[in-house]
Amino acid sequence: MKRFGAVLVWGGISALGAAAFGVLALSRGETVNAAWLLTAAVCSYAVGYRFYSKFLASRVFGLDDRRATPAERCNNGRDFVPTNRWVLYGHHFAAIAGAGPLVGPVLAAQFGFLPGTLWLVIGVVLGGAVQDFVMLFCSLRRDGKSLGQMAKEEVNPAAGATAMLAVLFIMIILLAVLALIVVNALKASPWGLFTIACTIPIALLMGWWMKSWRPGKVGEASAVGAVLLIAALVGGGYVAGSPRLAAAFTHGGTAITWMMVGYGFVASVLPVWMLLAPRDYLSTFLKIATILVLAVAILVILPPLKMPAFTSFASVGTGPVFAGKLFPFAFITIACGAISGFHALVSSGTTPKMIARESDARFIGYGGMLMESFVGVMAMIAACTLDPGVYFAMNTTPAALAQASQALSQAGFVVTPEAMQALAARMGETTLVARSGGAPSLAVGMAQIFAGATSALGGKTLDALWYHFAIMFEALFILTTIDAGTRVGRFMLQEIVGHIWPRFAETSWYPSVIASSGVIVAGWGYFLYQGVVDPLGGINSLWPLFGISNQLLAAVALCVGTTILIKMGRGRFAWVTAAPLAWLVTVTMTAGWQKVFSADPRLGFLAHAASLAGSTDPNAARLIFNDRLNTFVALLFMTVVTILIVTSVREWWLVLSRRKAAVVHEAPYVETGYATGD
Amino acid sequence: MRRETERALPFPTRLARVVRRIIGAPDYQAYLEHCRAAGHPPRLTEREYVKEFFDSKGTVGRCC
Repeated sequence: MKRFGAVLVWGGISALGAAAFGVLALSRGETVNAAWLLTAAVCSYAVGYRFYSKFLASRVFGLDDRRATPAERCNNGRDFVPTNRWVLYGHHFAAIAGAGPLVGPVLAAQFGFLPGTLWLVIGVVLGGAVQDFVMLFCSLRRDGKSLGQMAKEEVNPAAGATAMLAVLFIMIILLAVLALIVVNALKASPWGLFTIACTIPIALLMGWWMKSWRPGKVGEASAVGAVLLIAALVGGGYVAGSPRLAAAFTHGGTAITWMMVGYGFVASVLPVWMLLAPRDYLSTFLKIATILVLAVAILVILPPLKMPAFTSFASVGTGPVFAGKLFPFAFITIACGAISGFHALVSSGTTPKMIARESDARFIGYGGMLMESFVGVMAMIAACTLDPGVYFAMNTTPAALAQASQALSQAGFVVTPEAMQALAARMGETTLVARSGGAPSLAVGMAQIFAGATSALGGKTLDALWYHFAIMFEALFILTTIDAGTRVGRFMLQEIVGHIWPRFAETSWYPSVIASSGVIVAGWGYFLYQGVVDPLGGINSLWPLFGISNQLLAAVALCVGTTILIKMGRGRFAWVTAAPLAWLVTVTMTAGWQKVFSADPRLGFLAHAASLAGSTDPNAARLIFNDRLNTFVALLFMTVVTILIVTSVREWWLVLSRRKAAVVHEAPYVETGYATGD
Repeated sequence: MRRETERALPFPTRLARVVRRIIGAPDYQAYLEHCRAAGHPPRLTEREYVKEFFDSKGTVGRCC
């Protein structure tokens, strides 16, 4: 009877999900409500979690609650701490969720709402959540070892070195892209710049509070920080309204680029407690609260989607937001939310050191990624509730808009300058045209949803305040990623150079700290600058590079996961990681190839460089150099990952053909001291 | 055992502990409890504990 009930319930959920997908896929021209999109996603997550993750946990990984976890065996009351699975779920989610699942779907909305949504839902169930889960499981069985260490031990030392190098390069591109999103959101925006600038003294005050004045009192410091943050947000409105103050906080993209570079350097050099940690706490609170409020607001107002299911740009590849067809570019534009290699670093970082029992890895690893995908779906909804004309005007540079004007007119995606001016005035900005990068259009979408929800509840619609709240929310955790990423990049560089010059590896030796921070900041700062001055908008060239690099990092993680499964004698289940690996390699290598060798100057770096040869444009030489540099970076990523895949496949063949003993480097089995159910 | 100890704490203390763990903040009381349970005196003062905690925090990146 119980079994019959379960069949009925899960059959109903599956049928509901299928019906929702049917409505989304068959809509042609008529407006679709966001409720269908939410239903399709939630039903798919439920079925994926209930059946596929259970299969992975019990049959593939063989999770064993009698086996003591690193948190139990190495419990030191600090980083190794057995933690309640709900608490750890929150901790893990806060670490994996950043700007990626918000911005990627917004950019991919140029293909229509359906391709991105399908990739977000199917990609996460069969790929992204599997990657996070398998990495968490592998690290859990190895005392919380990192991806690089596991690649070194389980594949070979060359793979370990390759993985480390790949992470360093990917980090530089990632930081440049994220910084570009912030620059595009804050240029010519005194309200936004004032609010974000205020977060620096607020974080410094919080750092002093919890480190020196009242050691460890994070709650008090965070409460003070939150109040000051709201004051800064409201104060930004007054700054924007005062001609003298507004002039002081109104800057172009290049000036903000230099501010970002200076900030990144200082944040990397200063002690963690002073700036990085307090900003991290603030952004975590804001992130969790805003995502919850956004989910509730979407459920309350269930907005209609104004973007069609598909746009012509999906098949033609001449989209003004970024060039390229649906395949492969939708799959690299949305990385976080569907599958993100960066999660492999978190899943083999702090989380495995805090898991109390092995079976919790399913809920935290697989379930945590499903939640991130849900955030991506909400971002897609926010972007698709915008009028398509507004969406394209905001996410496109004037040059790209001119090139795509005919296609936009044919599709009916038009907006008048007066309408854009009125929208900008409503949001408290002077202009919202050519605010590429995804963050401003997401902020407008969120502001409309929040304003709609508060209006439905009887409150006032405060569009400008909500818009700048959304900008602050996005910029705050992007800056946290930049702080932390620059510092981690600095540590990696110190470690690499330390092999040749041991003194350089001392993380507290200031000449080394300053030099390595300078190199990392110069690396991402250069790509950021070229993105800011790019006439087609840096997002067109940098976001695909970021997508390719992030997905290739996922390929590295899945390579390591497949190797470990084969060595564990679970070769018959290796398809669970090998299948998403094959898909990712196909997608990213195709995208990389097209970005380098496509004959279309909007798409191919080399074709773009060739189109500038002989140009009288004074910037031509620099643009040609940038194209060649981007070519080099894309080819480097592809080469590095090819090396890793070849070495991994060789290892699989050696083990499967019994030419090499399958030795796994798991921590020894120790029976748990916890009673069942503890 | 661990759960019983935590359940004995007042609700605000438990809530604060949950929030600390979610955001990755130092928790000296939890460290002291760990030392008591492990049967050894605490090796670090609160200031030293907080300093060590923040020093190790900076080595882990945040996701995109």
